[in-house]
Amino acid sequence: MEILVVEDARDQRMMLTRLLTKQGFQVYEAADGLEALAMIHDHRGIRFVVSDWMMPGMDGIELCKTIRATDFHRYIYFVLLTGNSDEEAVVEGINGGADDFLKKPVDFNELQARLNAGNRIIELKAALEAKIDAIETDLKSAADTQAQLLCDPAQLGNVAFNWYFKPSRFLGGDMFGYHELGDGHICFYQLDVAGHGIPSALLSFSLNHILCDDQHGNVVKEVLDTPPYVRGRAPDQVLSRLNEQFQAKAESMLYFSMAYGLINNETGAVSIALAGHPPPLWVRKTSASIEVLPIAGVPIGMMPGMSYSTESLQLAPGDRLFLYSDGLTECENREGEMFGEDRLKSMLKESITKDLGLVVNHFEDSIRDWSGSEVFEDDVTFLLLEWNP
Amino acid sequence: MPFDTKNESNHLVVSVDEARLDASIAENFKDYLFNHIDQDASDMVIDLSVVRFMDSSGLGVLVSALKKMDGKSKIKLAGAQPAVLDLFHLTSMDKLFSILPTVTEAIEEK
Repeated sequence: MEILVVEDARDQRMMLTRLLTKQGFQVYEAADGLEALAMIHDHRGIRFVVSDWMMPGMDGIELCKTIRATDFHRYIYFVLLTGNSDEEAVVEGINGGADDFLKKPVDFNELQARLNAGNRIIELKAALEAKIDAIETDLKSAADTQAQLLCDPAQLGNVAFNWYFKPSRFLGGDMFGYHELGDGHICFYQLDVAGHGIPSALLSFSLNHILCDDQHGNVVKEVLDTPPYVRGRAPDQVLSRLNEQFQAKAESMLYFSMAYGLINNETGAVSIALAGHPPPLWVRKTSASIEVLPIAGVPIGMMPGMSYSTESLQLAPGDRLFLYSDGLTECENREGEMFGEDRLKSMLKESITKDLGLVVNHFEDSIRDWSGSEVFEDDVTFLLLEWNP
Repeated sequence: MPFDTKNESNHLVVSVDEARLDASIAENFKDYLFNHIDQDASDMVIDLSVVRFMDSSGLGVLVSALKKMDGKSKIKLAGAQPAVLDLFHLTSMDKLFSILPTVTEAIEEK
């Protein structure tokens, strides 16, 4: 165990060093606060500091405050030596971040007992850190799994898809996807499970699985006896089927908002339904305008027996649909202002002639600049599709 | 705790004294409501007049309270500001709750 003794009086420093060395500590010595900081920087094994209060240059309390304000990648257990039992001094010391106090002249048995107590705390903290490391490793590997579930940007028939996905911290409840149903339609969806972390992510994983791999025709399609043997279900039907399957318990609050749509590959006809999801934006190329599709619906899992409505629209060649989760519009800048739908609309309008990939990159930069941070409070996801026959 | 209750004409009126009803207080608010639902079976009015922003977690708490009630009593929402009303509209909350402009109207509503 490595310990640093900080004391300007040479004789007292040597006495402490001698006693602690005898107890099996590896002892470092410093004559003032600045020297002590350099020692802690250089010797990464130092976990204990026993420091005098009154010293020239940087005193004990300043040293303690500086240690607390610096990230040494380990906890430093700080014992302050006090010349008197003045209560105010003790309060000042605790506020400065000291862990323990010892009156001078030092009683060696008491010092030993206090260092043992400190050691228990350091060991507890190390055990806790190891557990946190293990949890973070698990979360990272789950986040990798999540990333593997996401569709690659793709051209499916006449429809090009691209997207941006940034989970909050490690794991999020956002999910999206698109695939050909085999009846001339391509389905596309985006969903956002309320809350963050493992419960939300697990639900979004399992939803993705159900939506992608619907071989028995339970959710997104019906299986027919005659060609084309499969038929996509109407979007409102898909949502009500999911709503019956995924009723959340009151305690779990695992609800999700969702947009689900079908696009006819040949004609560009789109049908779409929403369950409490932010309204998709329709980017119309010929008029260079943005149209909001405000389709209301109860989020899925809240109440059984809900019905949803399917809206139809006809895309013109080059038209786009922009689907997003509320993490995008609710993303705040440093002043607490939200990104908002208006900003989104003008960005889409400005980028109408740009390639999908460029639009995605441009949006990614804009939202990052807006938040001023690499880590978002909520998942930020959007999905962009373009029909070009 | 930014939540308070009072009894008024056989209703439990819960007021939320917080501008943001979001993920950061959702768990606390849920526990608070669930405690009251366990103790008291009267109809509940939730006064949202101070709330300027609600996210999906905040909305989730209101619905969880409704599920917890299990049809034994009603929950009415009162005093929602424009941004909160927009969220209620987008999520068709009028299918689940009575939504009224003021606490008084919520109490009087049959």
